Amino acid sequence: MEAVYNLLIGLQTALSPFNLTVLVAGLFVGTFVGVLPGLGGANGVAILIPVTFRLPPTSAVILLAAIYWGALFGGVITSILFNIPGEPWSVATCFDGYPMAKKGKACEALTTAFCSHFFGAMVATLILTFAAPIVAEFTLMFGPPETFAVMMLTFSALVSLGGMSPVKSVVSTLLGFIMAAVGIDIVTGRLRLTFGSTELMGGFSFIVAVIGLFGLGEVFMTVEEGLRLEGVSVRMGVRTVFQTMAQLPRFWRTYIRGALIGCWMGIKPGGATPASFMSYGFAKQFSKNPEEFGTGTIEGVIAPEVAAHAAGVSATLPMITLGIPGSPTMAVILGGLMMWGLQPGPMLFKENPEFVWGLIGSIWVANAIGVVMVLCFVPFFASILRAPFSILMPSIVFVCAIGAYAVNNRMIDIWYMILFGFVGMAFKKLDYPIAPMVLALVLGDMAESAMRQSLVMSQGSPLIFFNRPIAGIVNGLAVLFFFWPLVTVLRDRIRKKLRAPVDA
Amino acid sequence: MRKADAICALIILAIGILVLCEAARLGIFGWSTSGPEPGMYIFLLGMGVSVGSLVVLGQVFVEWRKAVPVKPFIRPGGLRPVLYVAVPAAMMVLLTEFIGLYIAAGLYLAVYMRWIGKHKWITVAAVSILLPLVSYFIFDRIFLIPLPKGRFEDLLTF
Repeated sequence: MEAVYNLLIGLQTALSPFNLTVLVAGLFVGTFVGVLPGLGGANGVAILIPVTFRLPPTSAVILLAAIYWGALFGGVITSILFNIPGEPWSVATCFDGYPMAKKGKACEALTTAFCSHFFGAMVATLILTFAAPIVAEFTLMFGPPETFAVMMLTFSALVSLGGMSPVKSVVSTLLGFIMAAVGIDIVTGRLRLTFGSTELMGGFSFIVAVIGLFGLGEVFMTVEEGLRLEGVSVRMGVRTVFQTMAQLPRFWRTYIRGALIGCWMGIKPGGATPASFMSYGFAKQFSKNPEEFGTGTIEGVIAPEVAAHAAGVSATLPMITLGIPGSPTMAVILGGLMMWGLQPGPMLFKENPEFVWGLIGSIWVANAIGVVMVLCFVPFFASILRAPFSILMPSIVFVCAIGAYAVNNRMIDIWYMILFGFVGMAFKKLDYPIAPMVLALVLGDMAESAMRQSLVMSQGSPLIFFNRPIAGIVNGLAVLFFFWPLVTVLRDRIRKKLRAPVDA
Repeated sequence: MRKADAICALIILAIGILVLCEAARLGIFGWSTSGPEPGMYIFLLGMGVSVGSLVVLGQVFVEWRKAVPVKPFIRPGGLRPVLYVAVPAAMMVLLTEFIGLYIAAGLYLAVYMRWIGKHKWITVAAVSILLPLVSYFIFDRIFLIPLPKGRFEDLLTF
């Protein structure tokens, strides 16, 4: 019951005129950056972090979160109308969304996607509202070894989900940690990794890295591949929207299944993408007519959308209770939190309840307003992508440069941004995942101090990470996750060997 | 692609070795007044990165021996548009040091739109004047974030 009371206070915070204005502005900007190539959610949030220094923390986090939700809506528009998944978890939405749009049912596809998005987010927020205080209470028992263990679990989950090459995921993560370490030693205050250069003393800002890696890297990739946009034009008819909405409750099974998959997967870092694919796969398996999937069936739009957005919202749970971001965008928001002087983690609930509940309240409000807003403005947002690329592209570079400079008012950061742009492009092409690097850059200091404090506690014995009950279990899981790719490889080899004699 | 992969791994290996040298300078093993020696943490990172890049190099070598077919790193003809974006952008940053970001960005927008986009002069003028102007009001005036103005500092901040 306490949660309901707190939620009401949170809603009150989120609905105050100023915060509501901030929220709508954030949603609008978010959808805008979500639609533009090269400016995803992570980037939009990173560029606007300097702006948030002028706002009270609660409004600031509402702005950033609203940009994130808006960017998710924007990603839906590009994947359905242009077959361009703005974020990896929109890929599955393209499977049926784009064919539907091509068949002239763009309005239906978009309405379905937005409503599914809304439903997924609502279920996840419901769970978040009631689970977050419990988890926070539990994590209050955590000391440095446990904090470190949770971080290890985060990164090993990223490695096992990472993609093509687990080694490259590890390397990318460690490079992030190294960049975070550049500058001043947090314990002894000695300079390290600066090699006598004053420019390096300030270290690398994660904001600049995000803008370069995601923003410029994406721009470079797009021009290199030669962008061809073949968008489907859309007309949103009020009647079609309502007719589509009336149809949706028939698919309640897909909805509930997707939302649960999303909530479950979303708690783990990097969970939204596998959640969307899993939900799509299940929907296809359980469907009466699976052969229709991929040709533009409405269920194929519902399933990945519900799951991806339930996952996107439930990623907030580990962020506000543990200080562990589930996605690059969340990592940037978390970095912002630290810059406003808030310590993410369980103490947030105790020390800044109006902040946490304001954020949770704003998720409810943002998703409700967001659906109506995007439904009304879809043609406008779609027209942005029809603007000539040679106008969009330099404008994006300009906005990125503003964001990079404004973090610390340093010229060198704009140069770093361009450098990170090339790194981002090379890494994408060579299958080095970028997300773990950004997460490591944000969490670097926290992970390092947790590790060193633990070692001080144990007088140098690394056993402390394993002989405390919670830390031991979490670290054990981390080790298991970490070696999971190896286990699967070995298992396949053994199976092949077992099968080989039969073949011969 | 394979060559790029190898070069990238070599660069990462170099970074790893650099970090290891720094760790050695700060002291890796042993115990100081504030806990483990300051080099211990970065030693672990440097070690991980070096080993990881060596594994990647090994994988590339194995693939090369097996002659696994790969895509080229840069699509044929793909380098030119990237440079068209990157070189003017670098010029813009360079100019920013002297004439400020707003004017440099205006020039950059104009140059790119006119020579690469081949837009009409009227469009070029409109975008390259309006966009920096709007950003000036949003960032400098509303949110009080001073962006670099170079020599035009005195003219624009009044």
